[in-house]
Amino acid sequence: MKPFEHFAPDSVGEVLDLLQSIPKAKLIAGGTDLLLQMKQGSAQPDTVISLKNVEELRGFATRKARFRLGAGMTLRGITRSPELKKHFPGLVYAASVVASEQIRSLATVGGNICNASPSADLIPPLLALDAVAHIVSRDGQRDIPLADFFKGPGKTILKSGEILLSLFLPQPSGNMFYSKHAPRQFMDLAVVGVAVRLQKNQGMVREARVALGAVGPTPLRAKKTEALLTGKTLTPKLMLEAGEMAADECSPIDDIRGSAWYRKRMIKIHVRRNLEALL
Amino acid sequence: MSITEKTSVSFTLNGTHHTITVNPLRRFSDILREDLGLTGTKVGCDAGDCGACTIQVDGKQRYACLTAAAQLKGCNVRTVEGLSSNGNLSTLQLAFLDEGAAQCGICTPGMLMAAQSLLDQTPNPSEPQVLDALGGVLCRCTGYTKIVQAVLKAGQSSFSQTITEIENPSSEINRQKSVGTRMLKVDGYKKITGEEIFGADNAPENSLWLRAVRSPHARATFTHADPETVLKKFPGLVRVLTADDVPGNNGFGIYPHIKDQPVLAKNHVRFRGEAVLALVGDRESVESVTEDDLGLKWEVLEAVRGWKGALSGKLEPVQSEVPDNVLARGFLKKNDVEMAFSESDIVVEGKWTTSAVEHGYIEPEAGYARKVGQRLEIFVCTQTPYMDRDEVAQVMGLEPKQIRIIPSAVGGGFGGKLDLSLQPLVAIAAWILERPVRCIYTRPESLASTTKRHPVSMSAKAGCNRDGKLTAFEYHGDFNTGAYASWGPTVADRVPIHCSGPYLVPSVLAKTRALLTNESPSGAFRGFGVPQGSIASEALMDDLAEKTEIDPLEFRIRNALRKGDRTATSQLLENSVGQVECLEALQSHWQIWRKEAGVFNQNSTHKKRGVGCGSVWYGCGNTSLSNPSTMQVGINADGKITLYNGAMDIGQGANTIMIQICADALGLPATQFEYVMGDTDLTADAGKTSASRQAFVSGKAAQLAGENLRAKIILLAEAAENATLCLEQTDSSSGGKLIVADKTGSQEIILADILPLANGDVLTGEGTFDPPTTPLDENGQGSPYATYGFGAHIAEVEVDTLLGTTKVLRLAAAHDVGKAINPTQLEGQIQGGIAQGLGMALMEEYIQGVSENLHDYLMPTVGDMPEIKVILIEDQEPLGPFGAKGIGEHALIPTAPAILGAIKQATGVSINHLPVTPDRLYTALREAENK
Ligand SMILES: Cc1cc2nc3c(=O)[nH]c(=O)nc-3n(C[C@@H](O)[C@@H](O)[C@H](O)COP(=O)(O)OP(=O)(O)OC[C@H]3O[C@@H](n4cnc5c(N)ncnc54)[C@H](O)[C@@H]3O)c2cc1C
Ligand code: FES
Ligand code: FES
Repeated sequence: MKPFEHFAPDSVGEVLDLLQSIPKAKLIAGGTDLLLQMKQGSAQPDTVISLKNVEELRGFATRKARFRLGAGMTLRGITRSPELKKHFPGLVYAASVVASEQIRSLATVGGNICNASPSADLIPPLLALDAVAHIVSRDGQRDIPLADFFKGPGKTILKSGEILLSLFLPQPSGNMFYSKHAPRQFMDLAVVGVAVRLQKNQGMVREARVALGAVGPTPLRAKKTEALLTGKTLTPKLMLEAGEMAADECSPIDDIRGSAWYRKRMIKIHVRRNLEALL
Repeated sequence: MSITEKTSVSFTLNGTHHTITVNPLRRFSDILREDLGLTGTKVGCDAGDCGACTIQVDGKQRYACLTAAAQLKGCNVRTVEGLSSNGNLSTLQLAFLDEGAAQCGICTPGMLMAAQSLLDQTPNPSEPQVLDALGGVLCRCTGYTKIVQAVLKAGQSSFSQTITEIENPSSEINRQKSVGTRMLKVDGYKKITGEEIFGADNAPENSLWLRAVRSPHARATFTHADPETVLKKFPGLVRVLTADDVPGNNGFGIYPHIKDQPVLAKNHVRFRGEAVLALVGDRESVESVTEDDLGLKWEVLEAVRGWKGALSGKLEPVQSEVPDNVLARGFLKKNDVEMAFSESDIVVEGKWTTSAVEHGYIEPEAGYARKVGQRLEIFVCTQTPYMDRDEVAQVMGLEPKQIRIIPSAVGGGFGGKLDLSLQPLVAIAAWILERPVRCIYTRPESLASTTKRHPVSMSAKAGCNRDGKLTAFEYHGDFNTGAYASWGPTVADRVPIHCSGPYLVPSVLAKTRALLTNESPSGAFRGFGVPQGSIASEALMDDLAEKTEIDPLEFRIRNALRKGDRTATSQLLENSVGQVECLEALQSHWQIWRKEAGVFNQNSTHKKRGVGCGSVWYGCGNTSLSNPSTMQVGINADGKITLYNGAMDIGQGANTIMIQICADALGLPATQFEYVMGDTDLTADAGKTSASRQAFVSGKAAQLAGENLRAKIILLAEAAENATLCLEQTDSSSGGKLIVADKTGSQEIILADILPLANGDVLTGEGTFDPPTTPLDENGQGSPYATYGFGAHIAEVEVDTLLGTTKVLRLAAAHDVGKAINPTQLEGQIQGGIAQGLGMALMEEYIQGVSENLHDYLMPTVGDMPEIKVILIEDQEPLGPFGAKGIGEHALIPTAPAILGAIKQATGVSINHLPVTPDRLYTALREAENK
């Protein structure tokens, strides 16, 4: 590791000031991704700004019919929050299947998102929940749907000087299920991750969200599949078709955890299974 | 607020306030181990993948290797050193001790801290809660069963009542007989307190660091800059070692006649991970020098890969001395198989391939060397101190007696610490520089540079009569032995002997080859190729059972070797052949599980269950070679009794059982014993910890040593043979006493009255045992082993046929161990073997350059383990100590065959390539549907 400067400010304001004066500074939250990247040399920042002490990044609260999830909330914190469990059990489940308790007690939801790994477990559920990224900088703030946040593996729309402060989650309509396909029980990355949310009215799908992980350069929403489902009644045939369409919509790669061919098939089955579970 | 380079961080550590000035992103694992000297917290990967470094931060479990110093500001930190208070073990620690939850102990501190975090919040946790809490810590020894039991036990209020008994095992002290009891591990205390010293935990203060620079290419020639120019650029570097610095023979290998692996490659590398240079200096410098700094220039050559590549003859041979890349051949012929097949009613055959598998011990290789006068002392984690001594001597051009190997506690070996790793490198550096030199392998380095389980491509054929009696068996196996010999020839020899399984087969033909390729050297790994071979033979047993419409377990019972039978090498089995008992012991489970699986399947569309079985037999000791062990025991004037034990304990428990055996042979309580482990200056040669030989061979030597000492005492006291001994130990100048009592009265031996030897002992005993074997003839016929262990596993799996995933639900294992010296330790060996067999069956696949870390090389976690039932069968072996024989490798061999059989029963699909990953099984299932 080469030498670097380290700051540990207490407020968002100070973070933003620092970012303005040192645009190349790297933020560190839990550090579970960043520390490894620094060790392997893929990240070599001159300046590191720790978010650990920043109060405004924490917490989960209701605000004007929507929820605010602080970017600095740890995954462990998410799994232990009764409020989150009540409103977003699928998200809590997704946090609980990340790595291990040791990782979850450091890793933050903001880090999980900003690291922009295609296989990040929290992203598909948040996409399915229509999460909005609340981004701030010294120049102002902007709210961007999470679906528009990712540009590629490790790449986001965050500009220099900006940080992800929190996520806004609308009052959830309908249930959301996340399934993580990983051969090993603990400490394994998703081969595919599938989040599905359905809002139904008398059996008819009024709104559908299908979000997929580990099957493209970024986690993605399967919009054609969502359209296929909307306005229809779930039948075995429709669920099968939805699975197939989602498989068509993604573009996985071959790697040690599974071939592209296999991943597509897993998408098909998990989409269908999540739909069945939401029946 | 800006902090450059260093910052001051305050935190509480195990109740004490600390303020340190450090680089704010320094890993807390390094701070604990190096800055504060607290080595109880272990580092297995330095990347958040193994959990060995788990600590508690504000009560929550965390990886110390992923925790930056700055993150601990104001936190309350607890490490394993803080678990016990005033020398009193915590309830959790006592439960670990009592259950035998620590084997090698390298994962134990992490496990304890993970479990403690759970218990702090949930004092009486459920099993799923325990699994979730321990999910982030890998253990390669125990199969997790006893660890989970220990945590559950610690949560039960009833456990605290039994604690005094564990702390003060008075009942044990008075117990004269120790063999057969669940005696607590003699080194258990150190392992649960973090006091145990592993390879990376100790080095002289002024040690230099050594880092090997390794080839990123499978095959290449290379040049490098003049070391002097590099040294000029890096003031912290003291030396750059090259091949020219090797004082003796720049070649090592386990066979006297094959020393083919260079310590440092000269101009030419043969596998990715091969050492080319070694940097010696301060830690920062050796870690920061890059390939460019060294002027390394590679000319990459096309690599010989896989069995086909080795045999194609298209490229230059891997080693010029072996033009056809066939390093070794194995051959066995018993009767005429061709005729036997032509006369068989049913003949089945198949082809299989397996992947390279990593040993996956949680402790990466580590140690140090220092020059003491004209001798070298090497402290290192090893399975074989005496072989290390001789190997280092020939590399150094020194006499073996100039080398002293002081083994550290070994954090798992499984065959992977039989070959040299860092020993010759630190030896050369310490010798030349006259300074102590230490080295700790990184996890990727350990994965890339050390041996693997041989990938094999094999075909086999088996025949039987209509009534299900085996007639003939034929086997061909090509073992990819990688770039250097390592244990390749041993594998080529062992497999033919065992390949037809523990069955009576009148005609057998087996041919094996060990092929050189530009891949990781394949070496010894729990079973020396037999686990791979068993996949073929056991699959064929299932096929024959199906064709003859005989229940697979029943088919195996019908054909099992029995006393009086002759093996594939025509060896007459006279004693201790418990195969039938093992299979029969599993019968009731087998029937119930099969029935229950059938019922489940009727009601399930895509999840299918199946139950399969596998058998094992395995010779204890080296194949047709003398492999003696010598053990010594001594009593000094104070009455301190010491077992000088050269049989390396690598977690399997040799430290404990050798004492149990020797104590009973001598007639004194095991709890009075102390021991010295594997120091080549202090113990006699007890051979390698390999080939499931220590309990049998060294155990027998320990028994003979105990008997030898007893005989001397009886003679001295002029007492009767069956006299009872009582040792009064004391620290005072009056000295210790031995009281020898028989029917006629009792005699006191005042130990201080006897003239002491140089080491202070006044009475000594010694025993040597070399198991009787005969050489094999040109057809591989003879008696290669003095005894065999037998066993069988049955496994129930659930396959999700739409996903291709397999979950092993339960597994029952029966093993004929001759005599269970310590049932707790045997169970631990078996449960651990099952975990490794499960990994080999379902997930483990080492790919160079791809799975060079524990993130991508997947080994089973606590959540992947089935419920395990262990059944011990005791068909005593007259040659063994109190009737005992080995278990180490037997435990793993039948697991994968049983799981594969279960998958086949569940789905109807046979998988011919290991591991059966979900995508492979999925593909096979779809292919079967489309047929
Ligand atoms: C062994 C291991 C296993 C893992 N397994 C899984 C798994 O199963 N599933 C999974 O999803 N993930 C897994 N991960 C990755 C997971 O730990 C991370 O993605 C984690 O959530 C990142 O959070 P952090 O707080 O540690 O991020 P950090 O490492 O602190 O930061 C990550 C990146 O995000 C940036 N960043 C952080 N916070 C902000 C912010 N508020 N605004 C702008 N940028 C920010 C940082 O600059 C950095 O580039 C694993 C990691 C390890 C080491
Ligand atoms: S050393 Fe920290 S997780 Fe392996
Ligand atoms: S006891 Fe767990 S790794 Fe050895």
